[in-house]
Amino acid sequence: MIQVLPYLPEFLDGMWLTVRVSVLAFIGSLFLGTIGALARLSPVKILNFIAGIYVEAIRNTPALVQIFIIFFGLPAFGIVLPAFWAGVVALAVNAGAYNTEIIRAGIQAVPKGQLEAARTLGLTRFTTFMRVTFPQAMRTVYPPIINEFIAIILGTSLLSIIGLTELTSTAQIVNSLTFATIGAFSVSLVLYLVLTNLVSYLSVVFARTTFKPPLPGTTRKGRIGFLAGKKLLVRAQTANGGAQ
Amino acid sequence: MTEWLAVWQNSGLLVQGFVNTLILTVAAIVGSTLLGFIYALVRYYKVPIAEQIVTVLLEVFRGSPLLIQLLFIYFGLAFMGIRGVPVLVVCIITITFYQGAYISEVFRAGLESVGAGQKEAARTLGLKEFQTMMFVILPQSLPVIYPPLFGQFVALVKHTALASVIGYMDILRYGKAIIDREHNPFEVYFTVAVLYFVISYPLSLIAQRLEKKALKV
Repeated sequence: MIQVLPYLPEFLDGMWLTVRVSVLAFIGSLFLGTIGALARLSPVKILNFIAGIYVEAIRNTPALVQIFIIFFGLPAFGIVLPAFWAGVVALAVNAGAYNTEIIRAGIQAVPKGQLEAARTLGLTRFTTFMRVTFPQAMRTVYPPIINEFIAIILGTSLLSIIGLTELTSTAQIVNSLTFATIGAFSVSLVLYLVLTNLVSYLSVVFARTTFKPPLPGTTRKGRIGFLAGKKLLVRAQTANGGAQ
Repeated sequence: MTEWLAVWQNSGLLVQGFVNTLILTVAAIVGSTLLGFIYALVRYYKVPIAEQIVTVLLEVFRGSPLLIQLLFIYFGLAFMGIRGVPVLVVCIITITFYQGAYISEVFRAGLESVGAGQKEAARTLGLKEFQTMMFVILPQSLPVIYPPLFGQFVALVKHTALASVIGYMDILRYGKAIIDREHNPFEVYFTVAVLYFVISYPLSLIAQRLEKKALKV
């Protein structure tokens, strides 16, 4: 354990890379997820079909294979991405498929009567979506989307295999430098736990300031405990598991 | 075209990898379901000490990536002087613990969905704790458990791909071997993806069908 400590700056560098990739991939996945959900809900058959293929193909193949196809496979077609961007694209495409289903389900969960009432009150289609559907869909969508973000963070560990020196890769390098196997992997394990718990903690803080009435699982008054996010997120575990 | 031909010529290797992946998948499905059920029972009955241990295990295995767990256990065992553990066994154990942590949540939600009155009634009728669980609570919770359980199996199939990283000869590993010889990464990885799809999609369909059935009742 002691031999590992001098490498703490390297671990933090790796963690910073993990954070950057995760955030970029998360933004990309939200973008893809929204487009995908709108395509799945649109009356246009062909869009519906394409989005369906996208979701099923991505959700039924390993993320690692998807990363390999993008990093090693695409150069055959002249598309050469550096490891960083290949990782961001792969994780965004992967999580985008899960987000498509999450957002679609969220929009569909808004009761029909709400839309009819809004239309009756003379709201335009656009205003109805922005003022009625969207805020209500956000409430259902929020917890599973945060789960997806955590899945992306864990999924970045796969990028160590295509040569990105993020947290997992750093642990492997430190392991081979010091032979302190348990120490090296423990440090990165703990840092992953710190990251994922931080995200679930912040998600509750954000949910409390944003959603009125509060989401179930975020209602407890007073101090927000260390494990506060668990209640909110465990409930929302996506049926098909995460991005990894 | 020659690249696709090369995949076809090496299809024997991919078939072998497919079989190895299936072995790992089935073993890990059995293991993680059992472990998840045990975890859920411990939490359901609030067994002292065991409950705290389970909480920590769940936190660690759900909060960190499977890859780092695999590396940790694979190299950690050797580090502690335990040598000669087959890579298949390491993979089964790690995936069992990882997926078991998620599956326990599925079982817990299922068990809790059965009303407390059911348990009290069963106890009043003189059923033992074990009988209450087996004949009253578990059968009623199964419709709630099945759909997400199969969802977790789909996730498990995909997670077995990580076994290739520590050297288990699964589809992906054999795929890499073919690429090393034929230099056709896109074609091989595409085929590998299709093979995983073949295992995973039927499970997905079952999960979707069960979900629809559960919503109707």
